[in-house]
Amino acid sequence: MSRLAPVVIDNGTGFTKMGFAGNSDPSFIQPTVIATRDRGSAAKGPSVPSKPSFLNTSSSSNLASKRGIEDLDFYIGDEAVANSKTYALNYPIRHGQIDNWDHMERYWEQSIFKYLRCEPEDHYFLLTEPPLNAPENRENTAEIMFESFNIQGLYIAVQAVLALAASWTSNKVSEQSLTGTVIDSGDGVTHVIPVAEGYVIGSSIKSVPIAGRDLTSFVQNLLRERGESMIPAEDSMTVAQRIKEQYSYVCPDIVKEFKKYDQEGDKYFKKYDGVHSVTGQPYSVDVGFERFLAPEIFFNPEIASSDYLTPLPEVVDTVVQTSPIDVRRGLYKNIVLSGGSTMFENFGKRLQRDIKRIADARIRRSEILSGGSMRSTPMEVNVISHKFQRYAVWFGGSLLASTPEFYSYCHTKAEYDEIGPSICRHNRVFGTLG
Amino acid sequence: MPAYHSAFNEATDLRSIGGMSFLPIKTKFRGPASNADPNAEDIIDEALNLFRANVLFRNFEIKGDADRVLIYLILYITECLNKLTKNPSLRDAEKTLGTLALSNFAIPGDALFPLNALYPAPANKADADLLRQYISQLRQEMGVRLPHRIYENDKPGKWWMCFHKRKFMNKSL
Amino acid sequence: MILLDYHNRIIEDTLKARFNPENKPKLVDMSIVDFDGVSYHISTLENQETKLLLSIRWKCWPELIQYGAESVLKREYSQWITQPEVGYDFSLLFDLENIGADPEDVIRKVSLLKRNAMAAPFERAFDAQALAEKEEQWDPTTSQLMTIHYREGESIFIQNQQDRVTVIFSTLFKEETDRIFGKVFLQEFVDARRKPHLQHAPQVIYSHREPPLEIRHLPGLEDSESMGYITFVLFPRHFVSGQVREETISRIQIFRDYLHYHIKCSKAYMHSRMRARVSDFLKVLNRAKPEHHAVEKKLASGRAFRRT
Repeated sequence: MSRLAPVVIDNGTGFTKMGFAGNSDPSFIQPTVIATRDRGSAAKGPSVPSKPSFLNTSSSSNLASKRGIEDLDFYIGDEAVANSKTYALNYPIRHGQIDNWDHMERYWEQSIFKYLRCEPEDHYFLLTEPPLNAPENRENTAEIMFESFNIQGLYIAVQAVLALAASWTSNKVSEQSLTGTVIDSGDGVTHVIPVAEGYVIGSSIKSVPIAGRDLTSFVQNLLRERGESMIPAEDSMTVAQRIKEQYSYVCPDIVKEFKKYDQEGDKYFKKYDGVHSVTGQPYSVDVGFERFLAPEIFFNPEIASSDYLTPLPEVVDTVVQTSPIDVRRGLYKNIVLSGGSTMFENFGKRLQRDIKRIADARIRRSEILSGGSMRSTPMEVNVISHKFQRYAVWFGGSLLASTPEFYSYCHTKAEYDEIGPSICRHNRVFGTLG
Repeated sequence: MPAYHSAFNEATDLRSIGGMSFLPIKTKFRGPASNADPNAEDIIDEALNLFRANVLFRNFEIKGDADRVLIYLILYITECLNKLTKNPSLRDAEKTLGTLALSNFAIPGDALFPLNALYPAPANKADADLLRQYISQLRQEMGVRLPHRIYENDKPGKWWMCFHKRKFMNKSL
Repeated sequence: MILLDYHNRIIEDTLKARFNPENKPKLVDMSIVDFDGVSYHISTLENQETKLLLSIRWKCWPELIQYGAESVLKREYSQWITQPEVGYDFSLLFDLENIGADPEDVIRKVSLLKRNAMAAPFERAFDAQALAEKEEQWDPTTSQLMTIHYREGESIFIQNQQDRVTVIFSTLFKEETDRIFGKVFLQEFVDARRKPHLQHAPQVIYSHREPPLEIRHLPGLEDSESMGYITFVLFPRHFVSGQVREETISRIQIFRDYLHYHIKCSKAYMHSRMRARVSDFLKVLNRAKPEHHAVEKKLASGRAFRRT
């Protein structure tokens, strides 16, 4: 029987990527936001800005007090943002974990029926979870998926492991291994996650509070300090974001970069042309140092914030050093990037150079301390970048779900009916792509 | 990589007062500093090169006496930029900065010097006077070179002026 | 959202992106699905990134062809029809450099591909009824009972009479809870006609397990607890030629998906109410404190003391 393709949904704090297995890109990338009709604001009219719903917990979003079909009156993703003036925006996922199950259930409902247009009874699903997710959350997810949507089978994968699987497509990788360090940098937060043989080493995970949003506000600040008055105030965040995405890159050394800009200005200074969203007037903005200063925050956090000071290469090194000693070489050898904020040009090269420096310095120090008697083989540091980095987690899910073994690894409806949601507390780890 | 340090930290054979080493500079102004090689970069050129990179940093580890000169010059550049926010012409800029250079300023050991914690005070009055003359020499030379470096079309270039609000090490003179 | 969309969003978005002259042609190869077991494959031809091939595969395609789908498809998509791709039932080929004057219209039509294919038997029945109406003596045996097995275990039956067209859906409810929700939901459909403003709506009849008279004679009807039959009786005013007819066809062919969608939404709604209840109960429980009597305890020596 030719089965219909499994559905792969990656719900992140900022964006949700969804699509069908076997494809190289997700079919939809939408913000993880749901716009509901808040009872209060519906009465007063659209001019009242409503508080985001996670502040008032049970009162206004409590469906039990609703009558009629108000529970169907909501939008998700881009349509939610477009309707944000008359509806209240809610973010069901905070720091990677699902906070509000009602909203998440409705979010899935609309993504399956309106966007993906598939009958869940005919499909297997692959969902993702952040590292250190409580098993109870997996049970809740399984409950919703099997009870409400009657899906055929479910597999809940850890995002870091999927990112590792996605890296197997890079030509730098010779063997398909599930041991490596995953640097997952999205919009909200960056995680450095060591994975050994497909299992996440939970105690060594470190999170870095620098991510896409912080880079965007840094660019916004730089533009404001320079007095780029052409940018309309309401668009300044979107303009900063677009400038960051289109023009930024990582430089090996900022002083040399400044010199390059002084000497060959025409090659480096760029112009960004925008159109005012309300009046339609075109305007133009000079783009200069923020091109290389924005991603520099990863490597020198103090230029943007005064409380967080550890550069990313140092964090990666600490993560590896706190992991069990026998996996450390494997962790250095296979450092995988995933997420939109790792897409900067030369990000991988710079990271590799800096981490190698730290690792070599440590080896040299230990040789000196031992009086020259201990020699160790140089540490191989490899940072893997590949084409599918931006949606690496989704792509890894698509790869794994298109293997024939996938169906045998899933928890089926029959198992769920027989035993209950506790079957989903543990999901078997895949070997290789087969 | 953390903030950039001065290359002159290695030159230890120079005298230093108040923790600042008396590096040679290429200047026409009179003062205790010796004349540097006109083809090489001196500490003032270095300060101009490293200014935009270093001013973003709030923490700076002092690795040598030349670093203290560097810090002082960077803070002084910020002060100069703040004087140029009204976009004066090149001539006016030179005049303004010349006046600024000769105006009253604090040296290590004075109550008003912001970095007293990192700079040891001069040992005696004679040393303090020598230090004051040296710093004055630095300020005047900087006041001449800075406008030439940053001016385009008789206005201060915005690629330098955008840094005038940034406080290196969160301090200002 | 109460009504499901008729068109396929992914096709719409993909075509919009590819037809946009600002986007460079690039390699495309994606497989997607739609309701009722439809698979699509959108790809660029080998070495020709300006030619886009869109193919559809559907289990009931031969039946649709039998009921005249070919002519409908030719009417809508004549200029792009091409040899079906291997493994698929029907294909359209687009030349990205040569879309024509109105790409929006093309996108709209193509994203309605499934709906248009399914429209054929309905159109045939409506036309046959229009003809039959004109005849004085109409022979019932001439009316064709069309069966479309569009899903595993579920079918659509269409038959025209002299004054009406009957559409019967047979649907499977896999779960007991689904059956109950379905029954309540469909009962409302049946009862809604009593409302004054809905009197002109088509009549809906729902039966559980028992197939309606019109199709009882057909072989192969599954008899099980989980089967349900929904009959729509459409009168000529419901399929007057033009916008009304198109709308009726679009709405009715997506009915089964609509029904199951709402059953799932009802379950989700129940879950939210249950969660709200549970959290309320938890709050009450957390407030509960054990009763604390001032117990008088005695020491070994006989002295009593009271804990404060």
